[in-house]
Amino acid sequence: MTDAYYITAKELSELELKKIPDELKSSAHMIYSSPATLDFNSPGAKGFGVKRAALAVPGSVMLLVAPGCCGRNTALLNELGYSERFFYLLLDDTDIVTGRHLKKIPQAVGEILEELEQKPTAVMICITCVDALLGTDMERVCKKCELEHGVPTVPAYMYALTREKRLHPMAAVRKSVYSLLEKRKRNSAVCNILGFFSPLYDSCELYTLLKEAGIKRINEISRCKDFDRYLQLAEANFNLVLNSEARHAAQDMQERLGIPFIELTRVYDPDKIKTQYIGLNTVLGTSFGYEKYYETAIKEAEDFKTRYEGASVAIGECLNADSIELALTLIKYGINVKELYTTVGEGNYPFLKRLATLSPDTRIYSNLSPTMLAYKRNTHLDAVIGVDAMYYHSGIKGIQFNTEEQPFGFDGFRKLISELGGVL
Amino acid sequence: MKKLLKHMSPLAPDDSGVSGVLYELGGIIVIIDAGGCAGNVCGFDEPRWFEKKSAIFSAGLRDMDAILGRDERLVRKLCKVCRQVDAKFTALIGTPVPAVIATDFKALKKKCEKETGLKCLAFDTTGTQYYDRGEEKAYNLLLEEFVTKKYPTQKGKLGILGTTPLNMSVTNAEKICSHYKEEGFTDVVCFGMDSSLEDIEKITSCEKIKVTAPSALGAARKLKKEFGTEFEYDFPFTDGNILEKAAELADKKVLIIHQQAAANKLRTLISGRQTDCASWFSMDEEYTSSGDFTISSEQMLREKAREYDVIIADELMKRILRNFKGEFIDFPHFAFSGRLIRG
Repeated sequence: MTDAYYITAKELSELELKKIPDELKSSAHMIYSSPATLDFNSPGAKGFGVKRAALAVPGSVMLLVAPGCCGRNTALLNELGYSERFFYLLLDDTDIVTGRHLKKIPQAVGEILEELEQKPTAVMICITCVDALLGTDMERVCKKCELEHGVPTVPAYMYALTREKRLHPMAAVRKSVYSLLEKRKRNSAVCNILGFFSPLYDSCELYTLLKEAGIKRINEISRCKDFDRYLQLAEANFNLVLNSEARHAAQDMQERLGIPFIELTRVYDPDKIKTQYIGLNTVLGTSFGYEKYYETAIKEAEDFKTRYEGASVAIGECLNADSIELALTLIKYGINVKELYTTVGEGNYPFLKRLATLSPDTRIYSNLSPTMLAYKRNTHLDAVIGVDAMYYHSGIKGIQFNTEEQPFGFDGFRKLISELGGVL
Repeated sequence: MKKLLKHMSPLAPDDSGVSGVLYELGGIIVIIDAGGCAGNVCGFDEPRWFEKKSAIFSAGLRDMDAILGRDERLVRKLCKVCRQVDAKFTALIGTPVPAVIATDFKALKKKCEKETGLKCLAFDTTGTQYYDRGEEKAYNLLLEEFVTKKYPTQKGKLGILGTTPLNMSVTNAEKICSHYKEEGFTDVVCFGMDSSLEDIEKITSCEKIKVTAPSALGAARKLKKEFGTEFEYDFPFTDGNILEKAAELADKKVLIIHQQAAANKLRTLISGRQTDCASWFSMDEEYTSSGDFTISSEQMLREKAREYDVIIADELMKRILRNFKGEFIDFPHFAFSGRLIRG
């Protein structure tokens, strides 16, 4: 068996983005769904895949219209309390060729509504590759359901076939969950945070900084306790997008509801975080005081460097960060990043160029390469970061850094070094 | 509506059934999908994924591959992976995507065999059928491709067909082998679980075959017809808890819901009471008693349940049977709920 494929940061940076080796391109080889990477190869598998994400609308239920195989693993979500919110209309061989199932959807929605003690706020109709290929106009079917049953009905597209498109399933579902909002009078003291299906950590300084900037109400869909609170998202003066996968939803909200958006990137380097906050102050015309948070982060970072300088780590991509940016941050504070298990693309290629300068020998592996079946560690590591990295190195201490609550800003950086310090 | 599930998740599909049979046999197994089906197999229906490595890959189809029917890309990717991973054969497992675009599996098989030099097992599964259909196809094709001659019979050697996690709700053969060794067999092989392709090639050396699921009955009948190997429909009951609870059911009308071999065996172990067996999956006519039935919908199960005092079934079925007033005994079935028998 061939050894696991890798390329060093230096070697990779010497190639142009268009010339990255096939082994790092998921479209050029079979895909190894390692236990570590199941959640992002399969758009409905784990974590906030399309199915769970679409139920971010409070009080909604989902009808998955698909062959049985597409909904099989939804049972995993039962443990998280979703068992009363999922319904399935199973397709047979004739359905998937003729599309006759589309006529049955309104009846199925009717039967679900009869079954429920409380009328749902919305029915999310989730469709899969079959309807992608049939070219189904699910918007039309949803309108029919709405007319017949008087419940808002929204499509959610779990099209794994389009995983590498600009509007991929996780971007499309973000648009779906905000699509029920209707235009309201905007309130200058309200903003929305978009990007995640779970909230930022309560301790994140962003909340305090926005309040200092005059924002009295900061909305996140995951903190909306009911549908009324959800509808209030339409009152926001602006959307703060913290994850590029929500950009399309933000653009849609800008067009439909007149809510402009500002995009920040989740980074861990305190200096980059500072730069983003300066930019945010400029855009908002405010002067919130991020400095004390910056100073605390820098002080803790220096302390971390004193204690752990020279330690070696490997970083995966199943975690709340961009692996390469995270690597650059840790290198800055004295850590040797020996290996990365990650996907290199347009978004993080600039980080890679910098990595090649600072740590040219860092090995870059692709989680999705079939050769990862043969992965064996042949370097010394003191700790690993990420669910996938912990899978490859089960005997080594590590942190998953993959909580549902989302780290961000200086608070996120402090959490990272505190957790990592805890295992080094 | 028959096909509307309001209280249960979908049952294990046919593509998972094929993969469960082939999992430990040393092949390169390609699920012809975009990623989601492989995610369902590896992340849910194949509990061994987290314990034992196997070369299961997703073909990683993208929309244009499907729309344009780019089979040559698939073959190219397969050739590449064959150069990277040692394998005894390749297997192509169909999902809804190839079903919609009507992939010609026979042609694809020939092309793959020509290009890779390895035997290719191609399965036109669609993801719309249940796992037992997939298992049945896998057992039949394994026999067709790899069992070619009669080996001398080894006295005391027992072969078990049907041992997959989906049927047995366990991930290794340890307890199954111990159970049958207690019956006096000296060598027990669970085909497809803690065994290899070579074991299957020598299946005709078994003195006897035990068939632990209806999906393997066709293969066992073929073995008997072609090589004279005797078989028996059986299930190794390793969970004493269920038997203990069932022992207290005197004079009650009992319904056992599982795959047919397991349900039938439990019925014989609690004999003396009025007991019927039912299954969401196929039931072989030869082993079906009057009163037994196949469950076709949640509604049907709810209605039939009224006729019984006790139901022995996977406890996740309780969600369907909320109004059932009788006694319920848990009998996990992985293909229903994804629950393993622990301990």
